[in-house]
Amino acid sequence: MSTVLDNLVSQPYKHGFVTDIESESAPKGLSEDTIRMISAKKNEPEWLLEFRLQAYRHWLTMTEPQWPNVHYPKIDFQAISYYAAPKPKKKLSMDEVDPELLRTFEKLGVPMHERAALAGVAVDVIFDSVSVTTTYKEKLAEVGIIFCSISEAVHNHPELVKKYMGSVVPAGDNFYAALNSAVFTDGSFCFIPKGVKCPMDLSTYFRINTQDSGQFERTLIIAEEGAKVSYLEGCTAPQFDTNQLHAAVVELVALDDADIKYSTVQNWYAGDENGVGGIYNFVTKRGLCKGHNSKISWTQVETGSAITWKYPSCVLLGDNSIGEFYSVALTNHMQQADTGTKMIHIGKNTKSTIISKGISAGRSNNSYRGLVKIGAKADGARNFSQCDSMLIGTQCGANTFPYIQVNNPTAKVEHEATTSKIGEDQLFYFQSRGIPTEEAVSMIINGFCKDVFQQLPMEFAVEATKLLGLKLEGSVG
Amino acid sequence: MNVTATHPYVAALLAGSGALPKSPAAWLDARRAAALERANALAVPTTRDEEWRFTDLTPLTKLQVQPVTTAVKVSAGDVAAHAVPEAAISLVFVDGVPAPELAQRGALPAGVTVIALTDALKSHAALVEPHLGKLAGNEPAGDDLFTALNTAFLQHGVFIHLANNAQLKAPIHLLFVAAGNGVATYPRCLIVAEGGAEACVIEDYVALGEAAYLTNAVTEIAVAPNASVRHIKLQRESQKAFHISTCAVTLAKDARFQSHAVTLGARLSRNNLNITQQGEGAQIEIDGLALIGGRQTADTHTLMDHTKPHGTCKQTHKTIVGGAGHAVFNGKVFVREGAQLTDSSQQSRNLLLSDKAHVDTKPQLEIFADDVKCAHGAAVGQLDADHLFYLKSRGLPEAQARNLLTYAFGAEIIDHIPVPSLVAVLEKLVMARTEAGV
Repeated sequence: MSTVLDNLVSQPYKHGFVTDIESESAPKGLSEDTIRMISAKKNEPEWLLEFRLQAYRHWLTMTEPQWPNVHYPKIDFQAISYYAAPKPKKKLSMDEVDPELLRTFEKLGVPMHERAALAGVAVDVIFDSVSVTTTYKEKLAEVGIIFCSISEAVHNHPELVKKYMGSVVPAGDNFYAALNSAVFTDGSFCFIPKGVKCPMDLSTYFRINTQDSGQFERTLIIAEEGAKVSYLEGCTAPQFDTNQLHAAVVELVALDDADIKYSTVQNWYAGDENGVGGIYNFVTKRGLCKGHNSKISWTQVETGSAITWKYPSCVLLGDNSIGEFYSVALTNHMQQADTGTKMIHIGKNTKSTIISKGISAGRSNNSYRGLVKIGAKADGARNFSQCDSMLIGTQCGANTFPYIQVNNPTAKVEHEATTSKIGEDQLFYFQSRGIPTEEAVSMIINGFCKDVFQQLPMEFAVEATKLLGLKLEGSVG
Repeated sequence: MNVTATHPYVAALLAGSGALPKSPAAWLDARRAAALERANALAVPTTRDEEWRFTDLTPLTKLQVQPVTTAVKVSAGDVAAHAVPEAAISLVFVDGVPAPELAQRGALPAGVTVIALTDALKSHAALVEPHLGKLAGNEPAGDDLFTALNTAFLQHGVFIHLANNAQLKAPIHLLFVAAGNGVATYPRCLIVAEGGAEACVIEDYVALGEAAYLTNAVTEIAVAPNASVRHIKLQRESQKAFHISTCAVTLAKDARFQSHAVTLGARLSRNNLNITQQGEGAQIEIDGLALIGGRQTADTHTLMDHTKPHGTCKQTHKTIVGGAGHAVFNGKVFVREGAQLTDSSQQSRNLLLSDKAHVDTKPQLEIFADDVKCAHGAAVGQLDADHLFYLKSRGLPEAQARNLLTYAFGAEIIDHIPVPSLVAVLEKLVMARTEAGV
């Protein structure tokens, strides 16, 4: 058992390499001048600069939150470079894209053309902070869908960005959201007009590349009345020794009868077995079910990052709206995860489901923290939560911190949590059927996570299953 | 011993501490002084403190209270209604001060000592010293202002000692009667059960009028190997009162502890139950029921700390909330590294009866051992429509059907109490409350 664990734990990071592209970085440090510089570089309108500056001024008055169950050295916000862009070269078509860059994606297993064509996925590739290329744009444009980088959206659709940006996660929402609002460099923008069902899964592939450059993406997805979209986000990062801060903001808006499904597979560099290096993943993700009968569903598979700290949430404002959260969080070595969700029921007959599966191995610490809040007007609200933890090894920790606040007597809220380990008898059963221990463990873990994997789009489900296998390879048995 | 608290309300509460008579033991004076120092440095917790996130103490800070100076006269007739006929012994305290004339003393078996704390400090100092003020105040939950205040004012209370294998089947009844207005009382109970001993203690808080006062109680319970303690706490303070209590329990190897806490009274109450399993194989059961209405707040915080293997804990906490009542529950379960084969389960069940009633519940598991069985569940809801329909189809009027179902929800906790007269009293009280719509 322990040797398998050791092997599993000692899997080297398979995506660790640094692409050697000249990048244009801002000098380290944060001030109003840095923000003006970013804004000027990106040729932004005055209102956006004002939005950034207001966020920055608010950020200055805030203090770093201390409540999460994670520990890390204090971040020096002045030691981070807030802007990095690959040196601009005229790029006319895919053939002219820096071959070095393309090779990076190939190493990651994202052959852009094939992937886009075969998998039917439009990939908005983010390489450090600037969108390099966007595929399938025309095909989407035919049905009126806007899918582009947020900087393009600022120029081409300023009225939409202005209307919705900051409407779900206000600039001063929390410390890291304020920081992001001040310095975000790029991200994805997606607008599905009234009555349109997006014909393909939309996807963005992130990759943090330049050493010491924090990434501050901003994603904004708007689904108008009756629209439907499934959005995929996946990430890997090269191996670095210095910690990289990642403070993204994701905002989803669903109007009447709209349906947004947001899936994430996160496999950023987690640091080595002694906890050196790795990404700090401090993300604010929130969806607003603004209209009646709207639905937002979050699915996440978190396997990377030294520290994961995020709570994809749903504000259920419209009557009969639905919020869902499906999560698998796996921590190994010295990784720390404090993740969960918030379901804020405001409208009548709103429903939410939370399924969270935490797996801790090595010396890691895995916490579920969730809030279910039923407002006084949310008649007939319904919530079901299930948070299961699995411990592999004796030095890891699993915690659950569910907050349940109910202000309406007609609400029905249920919460269940269990903690378990892989039973000796379960392993014995598999072995007696001729299945080797390692495979048995992988099957048990996949079974444990089944409820969540079922929610993932096909390609991601395959990737996620592989990821868990890879992460735990040789660690249990 | 100087009051140097910068928080005005803490300073006001501590104002009377200088008037305390010197205790018979120097070590106790030192513990009081240390607690005063701690209290000096603390502020009244606000909702920004995680431990008090849902319970706002602002109403308390508007009530000026002082330790009792002139005792209110209470006659035997006044407290007769609160007698527990099964009890082997009954000690009565009026506004925190012993009232020996109201006590009922029967013959106690050899090895069982139930005496006022002031007497115990003289006659049993060697038994008191290792525990008093050592169990409460050192919990992993952190520094608690109210425990520090209680220790700073430590004077009156009860000392219960059970020698090796001393067993008392009949319950020990401790009756705390509130009679005065604007009074702060700081009762302290210390229960020490030596190896193989067994006892049942009822802590009963009642009010004679509708006065506004603060009860700040601390109970410490040390259970030695193989010993068993059952602790029943009834809280029926006045509707204007504030009741804040902490019960700190340590369990040695194979010790057993059962707790039954029923909360009916007080404008605002807070019940802390902190249990540390220090030996292998300890068995714990925790039952809780809060039945509140009006503008009442009932807050229960429990902490079950499994530090050794093979511990079992079964916890059920129920609340019934009517009117504009507010129930709060936080149940922490810690399973420390090495506490393998722990089996700990926790249930929080909440019944909301009105539009303005609300519940905040936060079960919490923190587990650092891999071979354990832990589960928690929380549910908030209303009476089941099917159940109501069934009763109505049998000819029961709506109101009666509702009362019956509400009562049944609470009865699961009440029926576990092995003292028939208490069960009868509680059944009557709960029935009356549910009929009045809580």
